[in-house]
Amino acid sequence: MMKRLQAALRIFFTSAYYSYIALFRWFRPAPYIASKIIMPLAQILFFAFLGMYASGRDQASFYVIGNAVQLAAISGIYGVTMSVGGERWAGTLGYLFGAPANRMLIFVGRAFMHIIDGMLGVMLGLMWGVLLLGVDLSHTDLGALALTILITAASTSGMGLLLGCLSLIMRNVMFINNTVYFLMLALCGANVPVSSLPGWVQRISYVLPLTRGIASAREIVDGASLRSVGPMLGGEVLVGAVYILLGYVLFRQFEIQAKKRGTLDVM
Amino acid sequence: MASKRLRSYLRTIGQVFVLQFKQLAIDGFIIFIVLVQPLLIAIMGLWMMRERQGNYAIFIVVGSGMTGLWSSLLYITGSNINVERWLGTLEMLVGTPTPLAVTVIGKTLSNVVMSLSSMILGYVLAALIFRFPLTLAHPLLFVVSLICSVAAFATFGLVIAPFFAINRQLQGWVNALEFPMYILAGFMFPIALLPGWTTPISYALAPYWAARALHATSSGNVPLSDVFLSWGMMLLFSVIYLLLSGWLFRVMVHKARVDATLSLQ
Repeated sequence: MMKRLQAALRIFFTSAYYSYIALFRWFRPAPYIASKIIMPLAQILFFAFLGMYASGRDQASFYVIGNAVQLAAISGIYGVTMSVGGERWAGTLGYLFGAPANRMLIFVGRAFMHIIDGMLGVMLGLMWGVLLLGVDLSHTDLGALALTILITAASTSGMGLLLGCLSLIMRNVMFINNTVYFLMLALCGANVPVSSLPGWVQRISYVLPLTRGIASAREIVDGASLRSVGPMLGGEVLVGAVYILLGYVLFRQFEIQAKKRGTLDVM
Repeated sequence: MASKRLRSYLRTIGQVFVLQFKQLAIDGFIIFIVLVQPLLIAIMGLWMMRERQGNYAIFIVVGSGMTGLWSSLLYITGSNINVERWLGTLEMLVGTPTPLAVTVIGKTLSNVVMSLSSMILGYVLAALIFRFPLTLAHPLLFVVSLICSVAAFATFGLVIAPFFAINRQLQGWVNALEFPMYILAGFMFPIALLPGWTTPISYALAPYWAARALHATSSGNVPLSDVFLSWGMMLLFSVIYLLLSGWLFRVMVHKARVDATLSLQ
Protein backbone atom coordinates (compact mmCIF):
# COMPACT_ATOMS: atom_id res chain seq x y z
CA MET A 1 0.00 0.00 0.00
CA MET A 2 2.77 2.43 1.00
CA LYS A 3 4.78 1.40 -2.04
CA ARG A 4 1.86 2.17 -4.34
CA LEU A 5 1.35 5.54 -2.71
CA GLN A 6 5.03 6.36 -3.08
CA ALA A 7 4.94 5.33 -6.73
CA ALA A 8 1.84 7.45 -7.31
CA LEU A 9 3.42 10.53 -5.70
CA ARG A 10 6.61 9.99 -7.68
CA ILE A 11 4.69 9.82 -10.96
CA PHE A 12 2.64 12.91 -10.05
CA PHE A 13 5.58 15.13 -9.11
CA THR A 14 7.87 13.83 -11.85
CA SER A 15 5.17 14.55 -14.42
CA ALA A 16 4.67 18.03 -12.97
CA TYR A 17 8.38 18.81 -12.84
CA TYR A 18 9.29 17.63 -16.34
CA SER A 19 6.26 19.18 -18.02
CA TYR A 20 7.10 22.52 -16.44
CA ILE A 21 10.79 22.58 -17.30
CA ALA A 22 10.02 21.26 -20.80
CA LEU A 23 7.77 24.22 -21.34
CA PHE A 24 10.04 26.85 -19.83
CA ARG A 25 13.50 25.47 -20.67
CA TRP A 26 13.53 27.30 -23.96
CA PHE A 27 12.39 30.57 -22.40
CA ARG A 28 14.98 33.21 -21.80
CA PRO A 29 14.54 35.69 -18.93
CA ALA A 30 13.51 38.45 -21.35
CA PRO A 31 10.50 36.66 -22.92
CA TYR A 32 9.47 35.36 -19.49
CA ILE A 33 9.53 38.89 -18.07
CA ALA A 34 7.63 40.12 -21.13
CA SER A 35 4.90 37.46 -20.93
CA LYS A 36 4.56 36.97 -17.18
CA ILE A 37 5.30 40.42 -15.74
CA ILE A 38 4.94 43.23 -18.28
CA MET A 39 1.98 41.92 -20.26
CA PRO A 40 -0.13 41.16 -17.14
CA LEU A 41 0.72 44.58 -15.69
CA ALA A 42 -0.25 46.26 -18.96
CA GLN A 43 -3.52 44.32 -19.10
CA ILE A 44 -4.40 45.37 -15.56
CA LEU A 45 -3.56 49.00 -16.29
CA PHE A 46 -5.55 49.02 -19.53
CA PHE A 47 -8.75 47.69 -18.03
CA ALA A 48 -8.30 49.67 -14.82
CA PHE A 49 -8.01 52.93 -16.75
CA LEU A 50 -10.89 51.96 -19.04
CA GLY A 51 -12.95 51.11 -15.99
CA MET A 52 -12.04 54.40 -14.30
CA TYR A 53 -13.03 56.26 -17.47
CA ALA A 54 -16.35 54.40 -17.46
CA SER A 55 -17.23 54.51 -13.78
CA GLY A 56 -14.88 56.86 -11.94
CA ARG A 57 -11.52 56.65 -10.18
CA ASP A 58 -13.05 55.22 -7.00
CA GLN A 59 -13.85 52.01 -8.88
CA ALA A 60 -10.20 51.21 -9.67
CA SER A 61 -10.06 48.48 -7.06
CA PHE A 62 -12.93 46.59 -8.73
CA TYR A 63 -11.02 46.32 -12.02
CA VAL A 64 -7.61 45.69 -10.48
CA ILE A 65 -8.79 42.76 -8.36
CA GLY A 66 -10.84 41.31 -11.21
CA ASN A 67 -8.00 41.49 -13.71
CA ALA A 68 -5.35 40.39 -11.23
CA VAL A 69 -7.26 37.20 -10.34
CA GLN A 70 -8.02 36.65 -14.03
CA LEU A 71 -4.28 36.45 -14.66
CA ALA A 72 -4.45 32.90 -13.29
CA ALA A 73 -5.87 32.06 -16.72
CA ILE A 74 -2.54 32.79 -18.42
CA SER A 75 -0.84 29.84 -16.74
CA GLY A 76 -4.02 27.87 -16.31
CA ILE A 77 -5.03 27.93 -19.96
CA TYR A 78 -1.93 28.53 -22.06
CA GLY A 79 0.64 26.81 -19.87
CA VAL A 80 -1.43 23.72 -19.12
CA THR A 81 -2.67 23.38 -22.72
CA MET A 82 0.89 23.45 -24.01
CA SER A 83 1.99 20.94 -21.37
CA VAL A 84 -0.62 18.46 -22.55
CA GLY A 85 -0.71 19.30 -26.24
CA GLY A 86 3.06 19.54 -26.46
CA GLU A 87 3.28 15.75 -26.22
CA ARG A 88 1.75 15.50 -29.67
CA TRP A 89 4.05 18.05 -31.24
CA ALA A 90 7.10 16.49 -29.58
CA GLY A 91 6.13 13.03 -30.82
CA THR A 92 6.11 11.55 -27.31
CA LEU A 93 2.45 10.54 -27.11
CA GLY A 94 3.32 6.97 -27.99
CA TYR A 95 5.71 6.71 -25.04
CA LEU A 96 3.19 8.35 -22.75
CA PHE A 97 0.38 5.98 -23.69
CA GLY A 98 2.69 3.00 -23.74
CA ALA A 99 3.68 3.56 -20.10
CA PRO A 100 1.77 1.62 -17.43
CA ALA A 101 1.61 4.67 -15.13
CA ASN A 102 -1.69 5.88 -13.74
CA ARG A 103 -3.25 8.17 -16.33
CA MET A 104 -5.01 10.46 -13.87
CA LEU A 105 -1.73 11.20 -12.06
CA ILE A 106 0.11 11.88 -15.31
CA PHE A 107 -2.73 14.06 -16.54
CA VAL A 108 -3.33 16.14 -13.43
CA GLY A 109 0.39 16.33 -12.62
CA ARG A 110 0.85 18.48 -15.68
CA ALA A 111 -1.18 21.26 -14.11
CA PHE A 112 0.56 21.32 -10.74
CA MET A 113 3.44 23.72 -11.44
CA HIS A 114 1.18 25.92 -13.55
CA ILE A 115 -1.12 26.33 -10.55
CA ILE A 116 1.87 27.61 -8.56
CA ASP A 117 2.91 29.82 -11.48
CA GLY A 118 -0.65 31.12 -11.79
CA MET A 119 -0.77 31.98 -8.09
CA LEU A 120 2.49 33.88 -8.47
CA GLY A 121 1.04 35.83 -11.39
CA VAL A 122 -2.07 36.79 -9.44
CA MET A 123 -0.05 37.90 -6.42
CA LEU A 124 2.17 39.99 -8.67
CA GLY A 125 -0.93 41.55 -10.23
CA LEU A 126 -2.33 42.45 -6.82
CA MET A 127 1.03 43.89 -5.84
CA TRP A 128 0.95 46.16 -8.91
CA GLY A 129 -2.56 47.18 -7.92
CA VAL A 130 -1.43 48.15 -4.44
CA LEU A 131 1.70 49.98 -5.61
CA LEU A 132 0.34 51.79 -8.66
CA LEU A 133 -3.42 52.11 -8.28
CA GLY A 134 -3.94 52.37 -4.54
CA VAL A 135 -5.74 49.08 -3.88
CA ASP A 136 -6.29 48.83 -0.13
CA LEU A 137 -5.56 45.43 1.40
CA SER A 138 -5.68 46.64 5.02
CA HIS A 139 -9.03 44.85 5.68
CA THR A 140 -7.99 41.69 3.89
CA ASP A 141 -7.62 38.27 5.46
CA LEU A 142 -4.45 37.39 3.58
CA GLY A 143 -4.73 33.69 4.36
CA ALA A 144 -8.25 33.60 2.93
CA LEU A 145 -7.08 35.54 -0.12
CA ALA A 146 -4.20 33.13 -0.69
CA LEU A 147 -6.58 30.16 -0.48
CA THR A 148 -8.96 31.87 -2.91
CA ILE A 149 -6.12 32.43 -5.35
CA LEU A 150 -5.01 28.80 -5.03
CA ILE A 151 -8.51 27.46 -5.66
CA THR A 152 -9.06 29.83 -8.60
CA ALA A 153 -5.70 28.94 -10.17
CA ALA A 154 -6.52 25.24 -9.77
CA SER A 155 -10.00 25.50 -11.28
CA THR A 156 -8.65 27.52 -14.21
CA SER A 157 -6.02 24.83 -14.74
CA GLY A 158 -8.89 22.36 -14.94
CA MET A 159 -10.14 24.32 -17.94
CA GLY A 160 -6.61 24.23 -19.32
CA LEU A 161 -6.49 20.43 -19.01
CA LEU A 162 -9.72 20.17 -21.02
CA LEU A 163 -8.39 22.52 -23.70
CA GLY A 164 -5.12 20.62 -23.68
CA CYS A 165 -6.99 17.47 -24.61
CA LEU A 166 -8.67 19.34 -27.44
CA SER A 167 -5.21 20.19 -28.69
CA LEU A 168 -4.55 16.46 -29.09
CA ILE A 169 -7.30 16.23 -31.68
CA MET A 170 -7.28 19.70 -33.26
CA ARG A 171 -4.67 21.50 -35.31
CA ASN A 172 -5.41 25.05 -34.27
CA VAL A 173 -6.26 24.99 -30.59
CA MET A 174 -4.59 28.39 -29.97
CA PHE A 175 -7.59 30.04 -31.61
CA ILE A 176 -9.81 28.38 -29.01
CA ASN A 177 -7.39 29.17 -26.17
CA ASN A 178 -7.22 32.84 -27.10
CA THR A 179 -10.99 33.08 -27.50
CA VAL A 180 -11.64 31.35 -24.17
CA TYR A 181 -9.12 33.65 -22.44
CA PHE A 182 -10.83 36.79 -23.72
CA LEU A 183 -14.31 35.37 -23.12
CA MET A 184 -13.33 34.81 -19.52
CA LEU A 185 -12.17 38.44 -19.34
CA ALA A 186 -15.61 39.48 -20.55
CA LEU A 187 -17.87 36.99 -18.75
CA CYS A 188 -16.24 36.09 -15.43
CA GLY A 189 -16.79 39.43 -13.74
CA ALA A 190 -13.25 40.73 -14.16
CA ASN A 191 -14.43 43.92 -15.87
CA VAL A 192 -18.22 43.78 -15.95
CA PRO A 193 -20.28 42.79 -12.88
CA VAL A 194 -21.85 39.41 -13.65
CA SER A 195 -25.16 40.64 -12.19
CA SER A 196 -25.39 43.29 -14.91
CA LEU A 197 -25.08 40.79 -17.75
CA PRO A 198 -28.17 39.36 -19.49
CA GLY A 199 -29.64 36.33 -17.70
CA TRP A 200 -28.57 33.79 -20.31
CA VAL A 201 -25.03 35.15 -20.26
CA GLN A 202 -24.90 34.91 -16.45
CA ARG A 203 -25.63 31.20 -16.73
CA ILE A 204 -22.55 30.85 -18.93
CA SER A 205 -20.52 32.94 -16.48
CA TYR A 206 -21.32 30.60 -13.63
CA VAL A 207 -20.20 27.47 -15.45
CA LEU A 208 -16.81 29.03 -16.14
CA PRO A 209 -13.91 28.95 -13.68
CA LEU A 210 -12.78 32.32 -12.25
CA THR A 211 -16.29 33.77 -11.77
CA ARG A 212 -16.71 32.70 -8.14
CA GLY A 213 -12.98 33.16 -7.45
CA ILE A 214 -13.05 36.78 -8.59
CA ALA A 215 -16.21 37.51 -6.61
CA SER A 216 -14.71 35.86 -3.49
CA ALA A 217 -11.45 37.81 -3.86
CA ARG A 218 -13.34 41.10 -4.04
CA GLU A 219 -15.33 40.29 -0.93
CA ILE A 220 -12.24 39.21 0.99
CA VAL A 221 -10.40 42.42 0.06
CA ASP A 222 -13.46 44.31 1.34
CA GLY A 223 -13.10 42.55 4.69
CA ALA A 224 -15.18 39.40 4.35
CA SER A 225 -14.10 36.26 6.19
CA LEU A 226 -13.24 32.90 4.68
CA ARG A 227 -16.43 31.50 6.18
CA SER A 228 -18.62 33.97 4.33
CA VAL A 229 -17.11 33.22 0.92
CA GLY A 230 -16.94 29.48 1.67
CA PRO A 231 -19.97 28.54 -0.49
CA MET A 232 -18.57 30.46 -3.47
CA LEU A 233 -15.16 28.84 -3.10
CA GLY A 234 -16.86 25.48 -2.82
CA GLY A 235 -18.58 26.21 -6.11
CA GLU A 236 -15.25 27.14 -7.68
CA VAL A 237 -13.73 23.85 -6.50
CA LEU A 238 -16.68 21.97 -8.00
CA VAL A 239 -16.39 23.75 -11.34
CA GLY A 240 -12.65 23.00 -11.49
CA ALA A 241 -13.25 19.35 -10.61
CA VAL A 242 -15.83 19.02 -13.37
CA TYR A 243 -13.43 20.44 -15.96
CA ILE A 244 -10.63 18.13 -14.77
CA LEU A 245 -12.98 15.14 -14.99
CA LEU A 246 -14.19 16.14 -18.48
CA GLY A 247 -10.62 16.63 -19.59
CA TYR A 248 -9.59 13.25 -18.20
CA VAL A 249 -12.48 11.47 -19.92
CA LEU A 250 -11.51 13.12 -23.20
CA PHE A 251 -7.85 12.22 -22.60
CA ARG A 252 -8.71 8.55 -22.07
CA GLN A 253 -11.08 8.51 -25.04
CA PHE A 254 -8.37 9.99 -27.22
CA GLU A 255 -5.95 7.30 -26.11
CA ILE A 256 -8.42 4.50 -26.82
CA GLN A 257 -9.46 5.85 -30.23
CA ALA A 258 -5.92 6.70 -31.28
CA LYS A 259 -4.71 3.19 -30.42
CA LYS A 260 -7.67 1.65 -32.23
CA ARG A 261 -7.16 3.67 -35.40
CA GLY A 262 -3.38 3.92 -35.30
CA THR A 263 -3.58 7.72 -35.39
CA LEU A 264 -1.47 8.44 -32.33
CA ASP A 265 1.04 10.69 -34.04
CA VAL A 266 -1.13 11.97 -36.87
CA MET A 267 -0.91 15.77 -36.94
CA MET B 1 12.72 53.61 -67.37
CA ALA B 2 11.80 54.93 -63.96
CA SER B 3 8.08 54.70 -64.74
CA LYS B 4 8.57 51.12 -65.99
CA ARG B 5 10.27 50.20 -62.73
CA LEU B 6 7.53 51.93 -60.73
CA ARG B 7 4.85 50.01 -62.65
CA SER B 8 6.74 46.80 -61.95
CA TYR B 9 6.92 47.60 -58.23
CA LEU B 10 3.23 48.48 -58.11
CA ARG B 11 2.35 45.21 -59.84
CA THR B 12 4.46 43.33 -57.28
CA ILE B 13 2.77 45.13 -54.41
CA GLY B 14 -0.62 44.25 -55.85
CA GLN B 15 0.22 40.58 -56.29
CA VAL B 16 1.74 40.29 -52.83
CA PHE B 17 -1.27 42.09 -51.35
CA VAL B 18 -3.70 39.59 -52.82
CA LEU B 19 -1.62 36.53 -51.89
CA GLN B 20 -1.07 37.74 -48.33
CA PHE B 21 -4.76 38.54 -47.93
CA LYS B 22 -5.74 35.04 -49.03
CA GLN B 23 -3.23 33.44 -46.66
CA LEU B 24 -4.33 35.58 -43.71
CA ALA B 25 -8.02 34.96 -44.31
CA ILE B 26 -7.72 31.23 -43.52
CA ASP B 27 -5.35 31.47 -40.54
CA GLY B 28 -7.12 30.92 -37.21
CA PHE B 29 -4.67 33.01 -35.22
CA ILE B 30 -5.04 35.94 -37.64
CA ILE B 31 -8.83 35.72 -37.51
CA PHE B 32 -8.60 35.87 -33.73
CA ILE B 33 -6.25 38.88 -33.69
CA VAL B 34 -8.11 40.82 -36.38
CA LEU B 35 -11.73 39.95 -35.64
CA VAL B 36 -12.42 38.06 -32.41
CA GLN B 37 -10.21 39.96 -29.97
CA PRO B 38 -11.29 43.47 -31.08
CA LEU B 39 -14.90 42.29 -31.03
CA LEU B 40 -14.62 41.01 -27.47
CA ILE B 41 -12.89 44.24 -26.44
CA ALA B 42 -15.73 46.20 -28.08
CA ILE B 43 -18.35 44.13 -26.22
CA MET B 44 -16.53 44.66 -22.92
CA GLY B 45 -16.15 48.36 -23.62
CA LEU B 46 -19.83 48.76 -24.48
CA TRP B 47 -20.89 46.96 -21.31
CA MET B 48 -18.43 48.87 -19.13
CA MET B 49 -19.50 52.23 -20.50
CA ARG B 50 -23.24 51.64 -20.31
CA GLU B 51 -23.66 53.96 -17.29
CA ARG B 52 -21.90 56.80 -19.07
CA GLN B 53 -23.94 59.52 -20.74
CA GLY B 54 -23.31 60.56 -24.29
CA ASN B 55 -22.42 58.90 -27.56
CA TYR B 56 -19.77 56.51 -26.31
CA ALA B 57 -20.67 53.63 -28.63
CA ILE B 58 -18.91 55.06 -31.69
CA PHE B 59 -15.90 55.85 -29.48
CA ILE B 60 -15.73 52.22 -28.35
CA VAL B 61 -16.22 50.85 -31.87
CA VAL B 62 -13.45 53.02 -33.33
CA GLY B 63 -11.18 52.34 -30.35
CA SER B 64 -11.63 48.57 -30.49
CA GLY B 65 -10.97 48.66 -34.23
CA MET B 66 -7.71 50.41 -33.52
CA THR B 67 -6.72 47.72 -31.02
CA GLY B 68 -7.17 45.26 -33.89
CA LEU B 69 -5.02 47.44 -36.13
CA TRP B 70 -2.18 47.58 -33.62
CA SER B 71 -2.34 43.90 -32.63
CA SER B 72 -2.23 42.85 -36.28
CA LEU B 73 0.70 45.18 -36.89
CA LEU B 74 2.57 43.69 -33.96
CA TYR B 75 1.87 40.01 -34.47
CA ILE B 76 1.52 39.78 -38.22
CA THR B 77 3.47 42.64 -39.79
CA GLY B 78 6.26 42.28 -37.26
CA SER B 79 6.88 38.74 -38.44
CA ASN B 80 6.47 39.48 -42.17
CA ILE B 81 10.16 38.85 -42.85
CA ASN B 82 10.70 36.16 -40.22
CA VAL B 83 7.82 34.13 -41.68
CA GLU B 84 9.62 34.05 -45.02
CA ARG B 85 12.73 32.90 -43.18
CA TRP B 86 10.80 30.10 -41.45
CA LEU B 87 9.27 29.03 -44.79
CA GLY B 88 12.71 29.01 -46.44
CA THR B 89 11.76 31.61 -49.05
CA LEU B 90 13.65 34.61 -47.70
CA GLU B 91 16.82 33.92 -49.69
CA MET B 92 14.82 33.82 -52.93
CA LEU B 93 13.06 37.08 -52.08
CA VAL B 94 16.36 38.81 -51.29
CA GLY B 95 17.93 37.37 -54.43
CA THR B 96 15.24 38.69 -56.81
CA PRO B 97 15.74 42.04 -58.60
CA THR B 98 12.66 43.46 -56.84
CA PRO B 99 13.75 45.02 -53.53
CA LEU B 100 12.62 43.11 -50.43
CA ALA B 101 11.03 46.30 -49.13
CA VAL B 102 8.56 46.31 -52.03
CA THR B 103 7.37 42.81 -51.12
CA VAL B 104 7.04 43.79 -47.47
CA ILE B 105 5.03 46.90 -48.47
CA GLY B 106 2.50 44.64 -50.19
CA LYS B 107 2.29 42.35 -47.16
CA THR B 108 2.00 45.24 -44.72
CA LEU B 109 -0.74 46.95 -46.71
CA SER B 110 -2.65 43.69 -46.81
CA ASN B 111 -2.30 43.25 -43.04
CA VAL B 112 -3.51 46.77 -42.34
CA VAL B 113 -6.46 46.59 -44.73
CA MET B 114 -7.51 43.23 -43.30
CA SER B 115 -7.35 44.57 -39.77
CA LEU B 116 -9.73 47.39 -40.73
CA SER B 117 -12.37 44.69 -40.93
CA SER B 118 -12.36 44.64 -37.12
CA MET B 119 -13.68 48.20 -37.14
CA ILE B 120 -16.37 47.29 -39.66
CA LEU B 121 -17.40 44.20 -37.70
CA GLY B 122 -17.47 46.20 -34.45
CA TYR B 123 -19.71 48.74 -36.15
CA VAL B 124 -22.10 46.02 -37.34
CA LEU B 125 -22.14 44.43 -33.89
CA ALA B 126 -22.88 47.66 -32.06
CA ALA B 127 -25.42 48.91 -34.58
CA LEU B 128 -27.36 45.77 -35.45
CA ILE B 129 -27.06 43.56 -32.40
CA PHE B 130 -26.74 46.04 -29.56
CA ARG B 131 -28.81 48.65 -31.44
CA PHE B 132 -26.63 51.61 -30.55
CA PRO B 133 -27.09 54.73 -32.67
CA LEU B 134 -23.85 55.01 -34.61
CA THR B 135 -23.38 58.06 -36.75
CA LEU B 136 -20.07 59.55 -37.77
CA ALA B 137 -19.93 63.24 -36.93
CA HIS B 138 -17.79 64.07 -40.00
CA PRO B 139 -17.91 61.12 -42.45
CA LEU B 140 -15.64 62.64 -45.11
CA LEU B 141 -13.05 63.75 -42.58
CA PHE B 142 -13.26 60.30 -41.00
CA VAL B 143 -12.42 58.68 -44.34
CA VAL B 144 -9.43 60.98 -44.80
CA SER B 145 -8.34 60.23 -41.22
CA LEU B 146 -8.65 56.52 -41.98
CA ILE B 147 -6.44 56.87 -45.07
CA CYS B 148 -3.82 58.80 -43.09
CA SER B 149 -4.03 56.15 -40.34
CA VAL B 150 -3.51 53.33 -42.85
CA ALA B 151 -0.43 55.16 -44.17
CA ALA B 152 0.92 55.74 -40.66
CA PHE B 153 0.35 52.16 -39.54
CA ALA B 154 1.67 50.69 -42.78
CA THR B 155 4.88 52.71 -42.64
CA PHE B 156 5.26 51.85 -38.96
CA GLY B 157 4.94 48.23 -40.01
CA LEU B 158 7.76 48.75 -42.49
CA VAL B 159 9.97 49.75 -39.56
CA ILE B 160 8.87 46.90 -37.31
CA ALA B 161 9.36 44.09 -39.86
CA PRO B 162 13.11 44.55 -40.52
CA PHE B 163 13.67 45.51 -36.88
CA PHE B 164 12.26 42.18 -35.72
CA ALA B 165 14.23 40.41 -38.43
CA ILE B 166 17.51 42.00 -37.27
CA ASN B 167 16.79 41.47 -33.54
CA ARG B 168 15.14 38.08 -33.36
CA GLN B 169 15.02 38.22 -29.56
CA LEU B 170 12.45 41.00 -29.89
CA GLN B 171 9.87 38.46 -31.02
CA GLY B 172 9.76 37.35 -27.40
CA TRP B 173 8.70 40.86 -26.38
CA VAL B 174 5.70 41.02 -28.68
CA ASN B 175 3.24 40.02 -25.95
CA ALA B 176 4.48 42.87 -23.78
CA LEU B 177 4.00 45.53 -26.48
CA GLU B 178 0.29 44.99 -27.15
CA PHE B 179 -1.52 46.55 -24.22
CA PRO B 180 0.99 49.39 -23.59
CA MET B 181 0.15 50.81 -27.03
CA TYR B 182 -3.58 50.53 -26.32
CA ILE B 183 -2.94 52.63 -23.19
CA LEU B 184 -0.43 55.19 -24.48
CA ALA B 185 -2.17 55.82 -27.82
CA GLY B 186 -5.53 56.48 -26.15
CA PHE B 187 -7.47 53.92 -28.18
CA MET B 188 -10.23 53.34 -25.62
CA PHE B 189 -9.84 56.21 -23.15
CA PRO B 190 -8.25 59.68 -23.21
CA ILE B 191 -4.56 59.87 -22.31
CA ALA B 192 -5.50 62.65 -19.87
CA LEU B 193 -6.24 59.82 -17.42
CA LEU B 194 -2.59 58.81 -17.45
CA PRO B 195 0.24 60.41 -15.44
CA GLY B 196 1.59 63.56 -17.08
CA TRP B 197 5.03 62.11 -17.75
CA THR B 198 3.53 59.63 -20.26
CA THR B 199 2.15 62.41 -22.51
CA PRO B 200 5.42 63.02 -24.46
CA ILE B 201 5.63 59.26 -25.04
CA SER B 202 2.10 59.28 -26.47
CA TYR B 203 2.92 62.24 -28.71
CA ALA B 204 5.90 60.32 -30.15
CA LEU B 205 3.63 57.47 -31.31
CA ALA B 206 1.90 57.61 -34.70
CA PRO B 207 -0.98 55.41 -33.47
CA TYR B 208 -1.81 58.12 -30.90
CA TRP B 209 -2.35 60.67 -33.67
CA ALA B 210 -4.37 58.14 -35.66
CA ALA B 211 -6.62 57.50 -32.65
CA ARG B 212 -6.91 61.23 -32.02
CA ALA B 213 -8.01 61.94 -35.61
CA LEU B 214 -10.42 59.01 -35.85
CA HIS B 215 -12.08 59.75 -32.51
CA ALA B 216 -12.34 63.47 -33.33
CA THR B 217 -13.96 62.88 -36.73
CA SER B 218 -16.29 60.12 -35.50
CA SER B 219 -17.37 61.57 -32.15
CA GLY B 220 -17.08 65.14 -33.40
CA ASN B 221 -16.35 67.00 -30.19
CA VAL B 222 -12.99 68.64 -31.00
CA PRO B 223 -12.08 71.58 -33.29
CA LEU B 224 -11.07 70.97 -36.92
CA SER B 225 -7.61 72.42 -36.30
CA ASP B 226 -7.01 69.49 -34.00
CA VAL B 227 -7.91 67.08 -36.80
CA PHE B 228 -5.57 68.82 -39.26
CA LEU B 229 -2.79 68.70 -36.67
CA SER B 230 -3.31 64.94 -36.29
CA TRP B 231 -3.21 64.45 -40.08
CA GLY B 232 -0.03 66.48 -40.27
CA MET B 233 1.62 64.47 -37.53
CA MET B 234 0.62 61.18 -39.16
CA LEU B 235 2.07 62.29 -42.49
CA LEU B 236 5.24 63.48 -40.78
CA PHE B 237 5.61 60.17 -38.97
CA SER B 238 4.92 58.30 -42.21
CA VAL B 239 7.79 60.11 -43.92
CA ILE B 240 10.11 59.47 -40.97
CA TYR B 241 9.14 55.79 -40.87
CA LEU B 242 9.65 55.44 -44.62
CA LEU B 243 13.17 56.85 -44.43
CA LEU B 244 13.95 54.78 -41.34
CA SER B 245 12.61 51.59 -42.89
CA GLY B 246 14.69 52.16 -46.04
CA TRP B 247 17.82 52.31 -43.92
CA LEU B 248 16.74 49.30 -41.81
CA PHE B 249 16.13 47.15 -44.89
CA ARG B 250 19.60 48.00 -46.24
CA VAL B 251 21.16 47.20 -42.87
CA MET B 252 19.20 43.96 -42.57
CA VAL B 253 20.09 42.65 -46.02
CA HIS B 254 23.73 43.75 -45.77
CA LYS B 255 24.13 42.21 -42.33
CA ALA B 256 22.50 38.96 -43.47
CA ARG B 257 24.84 38.78 -46.49
CA VAL B 258 27.97 39.54 -44.45
CA ASP B 259 27.05 37.14 -41.64
CA ALA B 260 25.44 34.58 -44.00
CA THR B 261 22.49 34.42 -41.58
CA LEU B 262 19.62 34.95 -44.02
CA SER B 263 18.21 31.49 -43.59
CA LEU B 264 19.13 30.90 -39.95
CA GLN B 265 16.26 30.52 -37.48
